[in-house]
Amino acid sequence: MSALEPTTQPAAAVRPGRAWRPFALTLPALVLLAAVIGYPLITIVLRSLSEPEWGAQNYVWFFGAPVNLAVLQRTFTISAWVTLVCVVCAYPYAYLMTAVGPRIRLVLVLCVLIPFWVSGVVRTLSWVILLQDSGVINSLLRSAGFTGIRLIRTQTGVVIGMAQVLLPFMILPLYSVMKGIDLKLVQAARSLGARPSRAFFTVYLPLSLPGVYAGAIIVFILALGFYITPALLGGPRSTMLSTLVQTQVLSLLQWGRGGAMGVVLLVTTFLLLALAAPVMRSRHREAGRR
Amino acid sequence: MLKSKFAGLGAVLALGVLTTAAFAQDKPVAGEVKDGSLKGKTLTFVSYGGIYQDGQAAALKEFVDKSGVKLLNDGPTEIAKLQAQVESGNVTWDVVDTADLPPYVYCGKLFQKLDLSKLDVSKIPEGQVGECSVPAMNYGVVLMYNKEKYKDNPPKSWADFFDIEKFPGVRGLDGSGDPTGGLLEQAFKAAGGDPKAMTAGDIDKAIDVIRKLGPDTIYWKTGAESQQLAESGEADMLMMWTGRAMTAVKNGAKYAPAWQDWLVVMDQMTIPVGVKDTDAAYALLNAYLGKQSQEILAQQTSYTPINNDAQPKVDASVAAFLTNTPERQKQGYKQNIKFWVENFPLAQEKWSALMAGN
Repeated sequence: MSALEPTTQPAAAVRPGRAWRPFALTLPALVLLAAVIGYPLITIVLRSLSEPEWGAQNYVWFFGAPVNLAVLQRTFTISAWVTLVCVVCAYPYAYLMTAVGPRIRLVLVLCVLIPFWVSGVVRTLSWVILLQDSGVINSLLRSAGFTGIRLIRTQTGVVIGMAQVLLPFMILPLYSVMKGIDLKLVQAARSLGARPSRAFFTVYLPLSLPGVYAGAIIVFILALGFYITPALLGGPRSTMLSTLVQTQVLSLLQWGRGGAMGVVLLVTTFLLLALAAPVMRSRHREAGRR
Repeated sequence: MLKSKFAGLGAVLALGVLTTAAFAQDKPVAGEVKDGSLKGKTLTFVSYGGIYQDGQAAALKEFVDKSGVKLLNDGPTEIAKLQAQVESGNVTWDVVDTADLPPYVYCGKLFQKLDLSKLDVSKIPEGQVGECSVPAMNYGVVLMYNKEKYKDNPPKSWADFFDIEKFPGVRGLDGSGDPTGGLLEQAFKAAGGDPKAMTAGDIDKAIDVIRKLGPDTIYWKTGAESQQLAESGEADMLMMWTGRAMTAVKNGAKYAPAWQDWLVVMDQMTIPVGVKDTDAAYALLNAYLGKQSQEILAQQTSYTPINNDAQPKVDASVAAFLTNTPERQKQGYKQNIKFWVENFPLAQEKWSALMAGN
């Protein structure tokens, strides 16, 4: 033991220094994050507790007004619907991307990315043209002999518009996971006598779940903060929390209340993710075992 | 002693005459600015962008050319941004165009109390000069109705707008931001109240009248959307800004205005607290109020000028929606600014609850 000590000690002395190197490389990113996320976030929390005076008044106000709670709940409901629609639409699409040849795949990737490069406002306005009462969808319905349906200024309209804007955030993580799945595993299941549906549900689906989770979390969180799409496609019954924050801050100069709303949204999101995390992790492990 | 006393008196008198003369000379005339008086200085003018701010820039072009000032345009106006500037003591917005109420709500806090000896306000329509603001232009909120829907029995007033039994159909209201005080007063009147005697508790009653218009009611978010609602015929009655109403009709919307009690609204010109060169800001305001500037503004934007002498050359479709004719002035309805300033947060809270579907 004592003979070994001289050799191990210098190594041990060097190691902590080396261990810091990767951190040193991430320093620029960390500084940027601290500046553009950390600092504003701390300011928001502080202002929510200090304006107009120190105390929890802004939070008392938030939870005391039924409209705030209704809108908070609605924000989560709409985001959940958007996430569900995105999963359902993106899953087959991402699978198709792994199943086709490189040239068609390129076309499919471009189909995802081109709308991604177009501003969200422009895409939302295109949805106005499609969804409005005298718009494309309703005109087609009417000319086919159906009665028109109200899409614009409804929650359905908002979910459709938001899902389209957010779809790339679902497709891309799904695709990156799916392309790593060895399709021979599915073939093996089939050769062992599994029906196609069983091969899919017991082999392919569990392996692709990490992609679903990753995409769903990104879509859900982005959806929570949406402002322009619900404002343009929605009506009063699809107002989301961001609109209320805007009223408090920009019209009433109530930075404290606006901050409290932001903090409530953030904390609620964290809580939900914390609840969902164990489920995701266990599934992930199960998938690994299989 | 006596002699020197007289001499002193003479000096005082002479000084008095001199200062009066100086005052007479410096008394501002709307639209005028001294040549080269602001050479080397920079002013930042903030407004809402689009053709409106382009028109304002055109209206200020002569002022810029004559005074030698460098004029920067910024925007859009956001009171929260201005508040941040004032609080941090670094005000970069010198003259700010705002909506109707903010200069009253934040007078002395965010906006300077105006020294009217530095402005010529003699040509501004009566009752429009505030403690912290002069008007930037006038427009109206007018009731527009679908001519094909209502044919021989068109709505004539806001009372008809709020009467869904006699006048069935989809309504469209301004949901772009702050509540419109005048509309709430008209709603309160439709519920049998007297707007002149409105109290804070009556705001609920007024909002209930609007809520009763039903779930199909459209709250448009932008002026463009209101115009589109008229052009596609999706709403049967619309509360619209006159500029948008004019454009919609020009584009073929089969809508007509009901002018009775159209709501008088305006943009305001203000000088924020803490600007670096107050006198330069006053010079800009004073030039803006001039006859010629206002004519250019009206011609470019179709908004109503706020100089009584202005005679803008506009075509008939624009003239039909100008609000400064004697007839329109008689029909116009002015909101109780004092009441809405006092109850601004309360009205805003109730209104945003309505806007959030509650």
